[in-house]
Amino acid sequence: MPIETTPDASQEERLSRARAALKGVETRIGAAREAWDRPALPLTADLTELMPEGLRRGQVVAVTGATSLMLALAAEASRAGSWTAAIGMPTVGVVAAARRGIELSRLALIPHPGAQAADAVGACVDGMDVVLLGERLALSDANRRRIGARARERGGVVIAAGEWPAAHVRLDVVSSAWSGLGAGDGRLRERELTVAVGGRRAGATRRVRVLLDGDVGARWTRPGARIDVDEEVA
Amino acid sequence: MSDIAPARRESSTGPVVTVRRAVLWVPDWPVVAAMGEAGLGADAPAAVLHGRGMVAVSAAARAAGVRRGMRRRLAQRACPELAILPHDEGRDSRAFEAVAAAAEEVVSGVEVSRPGLLMIPADGAARFHGSEEALAEALVTAVAELAGCESGVGMADGLLAAVLAARSSALVPGGGSADFLADAPVEVLPLAAMERRQREQVEDLVSVLTRLGLTTLADFTALPAGDVLARFGPVGMWAHRVGRGEDVRPPVLRRSEEDIAVTYAFEEPAQRVEQLALVADHVSRQLDAALLEAGVRCGRVRIAATTERGDALERVWRTDVGSRAGAFAKHMTDRVRWQLEGWLSGTSSGPERAPLTALQVTAEDVVPLGSEQAYLWGGVSGADSRAQRTLERVQGLLGADAVLAVREQGGRSPRDRVLALPWGQEATPSRRIEHPWPGRIPDPAPATVLPVPEPLEVLDAGGAPVRIDRRLAMSAPPTWVRLQVDPRDERAAAARRHPSSGRMGLASDGPSWGLPQPVEAWAGPWPIVERWWSEDSSRRACLQISLRRPDGAPGHALLASFTDGSWVLEAIYD
Repeated sequence: MPIETTPDASQEERLSRARAALKGVETRIGAAREAWDRPALPLTADLTELMPEGLRRGQVVAVTGATSLMLALAAEASRAGSWTAAIGMPTVGVVAAARRGIELSRLALIPHPGAQAADAVGACVDGMDVVLLGERLALSDANRRRIGARARERGGVVIAAGEWPAAHVRLDVVSSAWSGLGAGDGRLRERELTVAVGGRRAGATRRVRVLLDGDVGARWTRPGARIDVDEEVA
Repeated sequence: MSDIAPARRESSTGPVVTVRRAVLWVPDWPVVAAMGEAGLGADAPAAVLHGRGMVAVSAAARAAGVRRGMRRRLAQRACPELAILPHDEGRDSRAFEAVAAAAEEVVSGVEVSRPGLLMIPADGAARFHGSEEALAEALVTAVAELAGCESGVGMADGLLAAVLAARSSALVPGGGSADFLADAPVEVLPLAAMERRQREQVEDLVSVLTRLGLTTLADFTALPAGDVLARFGPVGMWAHRVGRGEDVRPPVLRRSEEDIAVTYAFEEPAQRVEQLALVADHVSRQLDAALLEAGVRCGRVRIAATTERGDALERVWRTDVGSRAGAFAKHMTDRVRWQLEGWLSGTSSGPERAPLTALQVTAEDVVPLGSEQAYLWGGVSGADSRAQRTLERVQGLLGADAVLAVREQGGRSPRDRVLALPWGQEATPSRRIEHPWPGRIPDPAPATVLPVPEPLEVLDAGGAPVRIDRRLAMSAPPTWVRLQVDPRDERAAAARRHPSSGRMGLASDGPSWGLPQPVEAWAGPWPIVERWWSEDSSRRACLQISLRRPDGAPGHALLASFTDGSWVLEAIYD
């Protein structure tokens, strides 16, 4: 039984101060949203509109239509010290990965896992933080479910190209528009992606415009908002 | 200023802490090393060319009138039979190892200050050999006999005096360094600078001093130390101390470590993988035991094998398993086995496959146990070692070549800018990333790079293929692009079979094309002409094309290149 040494008024004040501090911390780190036991991996500032809660550990993100979006999702986590494996992606552009911020010394490529894809992916989900999967892996639906369960258990993140049954987050690139080219002049400068964000938990599909490869030089000519979100029912 | 100078000098000098040193100097070392490698005799006229001038000149060439700093043309006019050899700092220091080893036959520890200059603390060694003269004689004899080059030895207190003494083979008596240096011109100061950058700074200082009228070291060291520091900064302070005959730091001695290597000679040449599994295990255990006995661990392992045809096969693997007790032998067994299997089966690139006659495993980057280089903050994290173990497991599952580590290297096209190696294997990139690479495809880099370029059709408004001539003129602006489609795609197959495709009755093994897609915008053509002097020369013109989607909005972008009359798809910006 603790000995009461302070008057009641002061105790009240201390309690309210403690509650306010706890609330401040909760709003800052977003703990009140849902009880995921592990902190999310960081995400580039440009992509927070896509996944406001960050790259939560243990989830599967299915991306269709853009390899660079997959690389951009993995970039900030890799910069912060995570290990990344890219399985079944023989055509991935390594220079693009490095420019997006993926640390190449912590990136392993397994371009052709062949018939043993399930074993290789399982091993990587066990040991690596972020696993990028290509489209043409020899994985059955049962394999995919098992990989998802393993990722949830180990706290890794699977970013898969193409369809994935029951993915937590689905990012479908609806359109991707490059700017900077003319008729024989200029060069590729900036790209605007329109991404439809859906998933197992999300009710309605949101459409988000994301600017990848932002170019300071191109920005002077085009005033206005960089990212805007409009809700619509899919 | 002159009246307060003596007082300050009194306070700043005090008892000078110097080490009695012997310096062994091999004159014109870069050219001596280059001539040794080129197989020229010591009396041949030769010079080493770096940049635009000669950096070192042999004695015979000097007698013919060739000087350091001469341009190639001037040097060849002075001495037409001059052999001009390339500059290679690696070769200089590699070849100097032989001289250092020869000197270590006489004394117990030496410091290699720079290739061409050895520094030895003289006190103990001179006592051992009887006198300083005897030590100098023993050193010169050992280097001449074992390394086969002439050298000069000098002894003095302090760094600069010892280096100068070696150039004139003088033995300066103890305490006489200041007098020995007093009359020397300030131009000798760069001799005491051991690194190139430091030497450049000191040369700048010397040129300033000469212009100020300070021509001898006595003039310079008479200046008060505080004023020198204020006017010339740290370099001036260094020169001031060195010029007074003081030491800046004591010699750093190296101890020669024997390489730890295990060699296995096959009784009969090994041809089958099963023979090798046991040998790999045996050799790895031996190396592990040898490392343990020496109390060291290694950072890299070099696996070398000799084939029956006399080819040498060599590969270097990185090992980060020192912290895991007992794992080293197994880890190395896998590496050795993969390596040998690759060679025997002929899948890995290299010389033609042949039975192996000998195998050698050498430990490199040897450090004492417990002094491994860790990260700046903290050791190897748990996640790092877990990821390493995972990748080793996948390598065991799929083979060593199935898991790749990638590095960026220099190059022009996106495909050339990647160096992929089996995980854990070490090699140096052949193309340096710092080089300028004119004509490189500008950033942003494409996210999909095809390992083998695919054919592509770029058509003009009338449907005829666009061509680019030798002067980079395009026959027409590109208007349509036809990509290849997967032949298993049913719609493409149906379109192919349809009479309107114009392919009725043609052989079916050509590429199957998709529908033409309209071009939204394009840039180029950018020429890339590479390696015209060699077999794998290429001459291409690249085009960035962005496509319009069916609904009229701009879509994906491609990188296409035109070579030998046809278009290929290099990369996709997706």
